[in-house]
Amino acid sequence: MMAKNRISLEINGEAVEADVRPNRLLSDFLRDDLALTGTKRGCETGVCGACSVLVDGDVVKSCLSLAIQMNGCSLTTVEGLACDGAPSPLQKSFMECGGLQCGYCTPGFLMAASDLLARTSRPDVATIRKNLSGNLCRCTGYQGIVDAILDASEKMHGT
Amino acid sequence: MNAFAPGLPTPQVTSQEKALGRATYAGDLKIAGMLHAKLLRSPHAHARILNVDVSRAIALPGVRAVFTGDDVPQRAWGVKHKQQHVLAREVVRFVGEEIAAVVAIDEDTAEEALDLIRVEYEPLPALIDPSQALEPNAVKVHPGGNLADEIGIVRGDVDSAFAEADIVHEETYTTHSQYPGYMEPMATLATTDGSGKLTVWTATQSVFLARQRLAEALDRPVSTVRVVQPTVGGGFGGKIIEERSSVIAGFLAAATDRPVRLCLSRIDDMLSGAFSVPMKIRLKMGMTRDGRITAKDVSIRADCGAYAGLAPEVMLVTAMRSDNMQRLEHTRSHAQLVYTHTMPRGAFRGFGGTQMAFALNSHLTAMADLAGIDPIELHRQNAIRTGDLSIHGWKIGSCGLPECLNQIEGAIGWTEKRSRPKQRGVLRRGIGMAAAMHVSGNRTMGNWDGSTIVLKVNEDGRVVVLTSEADVGQGSNTMLSQICAHELGVPLSHVSVQTPDTDFTPYCLGSIASRVTINAGKAMIKAAREARETILAAAAEKLGCDAIDLTIEDGVVQSTSNANHFAKLPDICRYHIFRHGGEGIHIKATHDPDTVMMDGDHYGNIAPAYSFAAQAVEVEVDTETGQVRLIESWLSDDCGKAINPLAVHGQSNGAAVQAIGWTLCEELQFEEGRLMNGNLADYTMPTADSVPEMHSSIVESMDPNGPLGAKGASETAILPGAPAIANAVFDAIGVRITDLPITPEKILAAIAAQKEKRDA
Ligand code: FES
Ligand code: FES
Repeated sequence: MMAKNRISLEINGEAVEADVRPNRLLSDFLRDDLALTGTKRGCETGVCGACSVLVDGDVVKSCLSLAIQMNGCSLTTVEGLACDGAPSPLQKSFMECGGLQCGYCTPGFLMAASDLLARTSRPDVATIRKNLSGNLCRCTGYQGIVDAILDASEKMHGT
Repeated sequence: MNAFAPGLPTPQVTSQEKALGRATYAGDLKIAGMLHAKLLRSPHAHARILNVDVSRAIALPGVRAVFTGDDVPQRAWGVKHKQQHVLAREVVRFVGEEIAAVVAIDEDTAEEALDLIRVEYEPLPALIDPSQALEPNAVKVHPGGNLADEIGIVRGDVDSAFAEADIVHEETYTTHSQYPGYMEPMATLATTDGSGKLTVWTATQSVFLARQRLAEALDRPVSTVRVVQPTVGGGFGGKIIEERSSVIAGFLAAATDRPVRLCLSRIDDMLSGAFSVPMKIRLKMGMTRDGRITAKDVSIRADCGAYAGLAPEVMLVTAMRSDNMQRLEHTRSHAQLVYTHTMPRGAFRGFGGTQMAFALNSHLTAMADLAGIDPIELHRQNAIRTGDLSIHGWKIGSCGLPECLNQIEGAIGWTEKRSRPKQRGVLRRGIGMAAAMHVSGNRTMGNWDGSTIVLKVNEDGRVVVLTSEADVGQGSNTMLSQICAHELGVPLSHVSVQTPDTDFTPYCLGSIASRVTINAGKAMIKAAREARETILAAAAEKLGCDAIDLTIEDGVVQSTSNANHFAKLPDICRYHIFRHGGEGIHIKATHDPDTVMMDGDHYGNIAPAYSFAAQAVEVEVDTETGQVRLIESWLSDDCGKAINPLAVHGQSNGAAVQAIGWTLCEELQFEEGRLMNGNLADYTMPTADSVPEMHSSIVESMDPNGPLGAKGASETAILPGAPAIANAVFDAIGVRITDLPITPEKILAAIAAQKEKRDA
């Protein structure tokens, strides 16, 4: 058995201390050790984006990251987006504009969209599509997702 | 009116838990003491298993058990062809076939143990190329030979009809296998509980079909298996009854008497197959000079891979479904399904329709050109109409195909774009269109296509709906909730649809054949109306008035003649229960449509309704790189009545993009039967930045058999994409690609050949 290392980090605003093996994937650490199963596994090779989380504000694919690298970082997973348990404006827009169907890709798209909207308050369609290129959705044809992000940016940042 | 009444765009009733990341998929489930499984797959397309040495794997700390084909039930399972086992016994028939399973305390240990299993194979010659399957000396995939199924259908006098045709056109088309590409790879958690029952939570489109197959494969009574559907991350036909991992997981739990979770990695999921059926279709059609189709002759060779699964049913659809879209009198169809030593192929959204839609629509545009007729006009002229009886005995209760054609024609600016001068530069644009039809329901299994809804109205007036129709993302729970809320007069948020569970929810066939809206929707109307009558009768009794004068609106029972006569729903529901001889409101309603099973000659009205769609696209072809870029896509779907337009548009857009993937960028690459690009980096599905805005519109033909007029949506929408693109490519560069996918290499080769011909 490989020795474990202690890491301290912040996840969704809460301090977390854990002992992890150096080869523990961040996605497995979140899902299996911390039961944060909102983060999904879709490809485990960095292509589908279902495992995306925010690390210090940037989108990171947790299937390509090691838990041990997160020492001292601040993470947001899909579970951390809600406001007092209720959907955030972005989550609401996904619900109302057909931004999700089966929902499996949704946490990843929410992360990519959060990151985009934090950097660009009123992105145009081309910018949105470009920024979603690291995420795959097989259900929506992306139209509902693009509509949802436009709707959210309008509601969050005015017309 | 209710804000989410049928007809109004309604967010999915499951959308909140999905947006919050709290929806639970099979791979999210955990039970105390749960073990993890990993599978060892055959590296050979065809080989005899001489020996499997698992001793080193079992000795690895953390490994609880290792199983091989020797340990699994001898009984073979399958759809009609019983030919598979839980793990391969004696012979492997495709690269990727499961030959051993390890159960361990965690996934890493199980994975490590796989490497310690030593398998001795005797490699055997493999049959990879379906065109050789029926040669006299071909290697046999199964002892009975390589012909898995054969269909022959003749209607009318085809030869005479061809003789009378002014224009006869013949061409061969080939279509390739597509991976469903659901974002959730197959996942299953199975457990025993000491009672003799095996409970299986699995990503399935049908809990009852899954249970049937588990019982058969594990050779145990049906009622000792319970299948529960967690949230499912997409299916597209791949999660009906052909995938094997849920069967293996069930076996492992039963054999170890422990909870076992089997989550396929993406690579594993792709190696398991469940791809669509590749086909070669020769099509010959005859037409009069003024555009009336007189004769059609189809011959098909389809490849189901190593096991038949649902492929015979898929091929039947290819062989005859599209005939029903037009007013035909003379058709002939001959189809052969062959085995090869490749992964099993079968059900996929459209269920055999995409293959033929590609051939037929490519053909019709080519013939329209030969006759000097606009292809949309050709479709319009030959389209089946409301009230028709089709050549195969289908009663067309509603047909919005002409309206779909009108919509796409106007939306894309068809006439204008068609009349613009042909471009000569490097980048050339072209437009193309296609049309298609699909069933809403299909009477096959057990000569039944029914659906049952159990509806419970709680003492607070809120409703619980029990159904086993599976919401796999398409939004059927929302559709049922909308109908229920509307019929009963309660807010949408007061309706909750329970998860399918074979021990608790009524028998249903699940999300196949676009049958849920039309059949379960009807059952829902019946159940809700009966519940309403029950409530009104109780209210009349309590209020001392006539039930006929009462209505329910927004959770309040109100008299229409006396404003003082009203009561809140909870008061009435409590009254119904808590009185002498009272009981909870518990309604059960079934709807089995008035359809017939096909007869031996494949004739008969199999579905209560039929859906139609048409699509027009504009593409830009780069004649230097061979790249095809989609510029615009307009898809019009006749779904009878859109109970939830948000869902219908979502399905149409998703289907259109899935079709774009199949046509332009998704290509499974095999070498000697080995999948070479079994990962999402090399098997490239469309991304948000690779497709343009998707336009979807709806035609409401109000089917007389549909709930509130509704038919199925979503499967029809995947059908016209590929041929619309192929037709647009032809329009752009004058080159017709007849074998999918349309790759840059094929475009460049075709342009070169065209130039050679011109220069010669
Ligand atoms: S699971 Fe990480 S990108 Fe797909
Ligand atoms: S909603 Fe199903 S994959 Fe995106």
